[in-house]
Amino acid sequence: MSVTDVEAPPRPSPKPVRKPPRKPRPAPGSKRFSPLRVLGSTIVWLFTAGNILVLYWLLTASFKTPVEIFTKPFDLPYQWFKVGKPFRNFIYAWNNAGFGEAVLTTVVLVGLATVVTVAVSAPCAYALTRLGVRGSGPMTNVVAIGMGVPFQTVIIPLFVVLSKVHLDNEYGLFVLYVALSIPFTVFLMTGFFRSLPDELEEAAALDGASPMRTFFSVMLPLTRGGMITALTLNAIGLWNETLLAIVFLKDQAHFTLSRALFTFYGAASYQSEYGGLIAGVAIVVLPMLVLYLVLARRIITGLTLGAGK
Amino acid sequence: MATVTFSDTTRFYAGVDRPAVDGLDLEVADGEFLVLVGPSGCGKSTTLRMLAGLEGVDDGSIHIGDRDVTELPPKDRDTAMVFQNYALYPHMTVGENIGFHLKLAKMPKAERERKVAEAAAVLDLTEYLDRKPAKLSGGQRQRVAMGRAIVREPSVFLMDEPLSNLDAKLRVQTRTQIASLQRRLGITTLYVTHDQVEAMTMGDRVAVLKDGILQQCDTPVGLFAKPVNVFVAGFIGSPAMNLLETTVDSDGAVAGGTRLPLTPAQRSALTGPGIVVGVRPEGWTIGDGGFEAIVEVVEELGSDQYLYCRDGDRVLTVRTPGMAPWQRGEPISLTPQPGAVHLFDAATGDRLPDA
Repeated sequence: MSVTDVEAPPRPSPKPVRKPPRKPRPAPGSKRFSPLRVLGSTIVWLFTAGNILVLYWLLTASFKTPVEIFTKPFDLPYQWFKVGKPFRNFIYAWNNAGFGEAVLTTVVLVGLATVVTVAVSAPCAYALTRLGVRGSGPMTNVVAIGMGVPFQTVIIPLFVVLSKVHLDNEYGLFVLYVALSIPFTVFLMTGFFRSLPDELEEAAALDGASPMRTFFSVMLPLTRGGMITALTLNAIGLWNETLLAIVFLKDQAHFTLSRALFTFYGAASYQSEYGGLIAGVAIVVLPMLVLYLVLARRIITGLTLGAGK
Repeated sequence: MATVTFSDTTRFYAGVDRPAVDGLDLEVADGEFLVLVGPSGCGKSTTLRMLAGLEGVDDGSIHIGDRDVTELPPKDRDTAMVFQNYALYPHMTVGENIGFHLKLAKMPKAERERKVAEAAAVLDLTEYLDRKPAKLSGGQRQRVAMGRAIVREPSVFLMDEPLSNLDAKLRVQTRTQIASLQRRLGITTLYVTHDQVEAMTMGDRVAVLKDGILQQCDTPVGLFAKPVNVFVAGFIGSPAMNLLETTVDSDGAVAGGTRLPLTPAQRSALTGPGIVVGVRPEGWTIGDGGFEAIVEVVEELGSDQYLYCRDGDRVLTVRTPGMAPWQRGEPISLTPQPGAVHLFDAATGDRLPDA
């Protein structure tokens, strides 16, 4: 210490409050702003905005009069609310499109088809991945190839065959729905079964479980996420399926929602009932949209399982 | 309760010419705790899995007690296994995990719950019985896996590196718990590990395997005091035994400045001029001529100190009392203590008869 150093030692200042940064600094070298990134996020946001706009338009238009739809496409609905009948379009669509029976048919058909699809696909995927069956690899590939065949290309032969055995009706449609959903479902489920550790099966074998018991008590419950994903995706796909329904369903009493909507489209546009028509579209679309929103997280983790890690 | 007998048991894996387990002859006494130890790929896990029925047996047979179980499926063998990563059923509670076997065995519910509660009490798991495995710590999961095994009261316990997923401190604790639990239950146990400390501390006997071949099966003391070959000598003991290759002349072997006389029996057992002199790190006398080396690394453990000393192109390991004043770069002279020398044939690796 030097002699000239006469200053009193500085008082300990009160400890400053540490404030963490709002956003931790990124790793050096990873640029936050790059032209490509800005471009990319712009495109994504535009796409999102476009979709939200369509949804908004659908929802508002389903409450509007045809005049409103064409003159004020992006305004909030007004006329039907003013006369005190806000759900008039929905009531009109429901009564005129035969949605009442169609909802029942669709729920039963889609519900049964998805459940049967998963009930067939899950044991199939288990056998293909875990039982060590000879040739299970090529067999899995054959199933996967089934996903790549566009069903539109085989629709005429299918119709010919099925009408010969008198299945050109809702029962035939059920068979087709199950058959067409199986490849994707098996493929999805194989990913899930493959991700389960071998030790679980071995532990079950030592615990005295038969292969059947191992499947139902140990392995199947662990693929619940996969089954929910498969059920939802199939339900959404089949709910909206129109082409096969148009080809195979002739009896109006057994129309599915999308098939009924197709008929209603002709009738409603002939009568310029665009409000009712859009309400009909909303009735068909919204249940699946809600289902997807509720289960979105599950579905996405289900689809990407096995992709990482 | 039962003995376990492997007779000339051999296991091949598809696409590999060398057997994973080659002609294993091993007898495990009733109630014995036998540890299988060896480096990775030595066939120890395969041995265990063959006994469990998870692997086929290509040659030879396996008996549990008087029963030939070679062709029996796992569920009929009355063995319980603790897996390395526990293999708990994630969707079942701790209680259901422990009671799964009893449920499959169609034990009445009341009795099953009593047994599960007993097992849980032994393992200190009572308060976790309703939890799922995901909500448990590593040590608790390990205990659930143990619980699943002990609740069955099987004739044989199989444990495949059950401690390798635990942290160091917990591993030491659990080691003693498992050993004392096994002694209390008196159930024949085969325990696989690659950790020779676990092997030495837990086992009644330890079987050392290498490349699918049983090298030696003996008590921990026997393995340490009389390793049958160079591999066992180098594998058992930490730090490893110093193995010095040298040659034999008419008077005996010369290692460093020390002359080691050979008995006629040892001399006749030698297949060539080469001999390996083994000295454990604690088997040296410091400062008496002999090897002249330079201390290269000092490892201070507090209670002990390990010196790694360079002599030409070989490194000698020496154990000294802890806190000794050795420094890097100091010269050191080392002589093997009489009676602490192990002699092996350099060509075959086998131990020479003791003097």
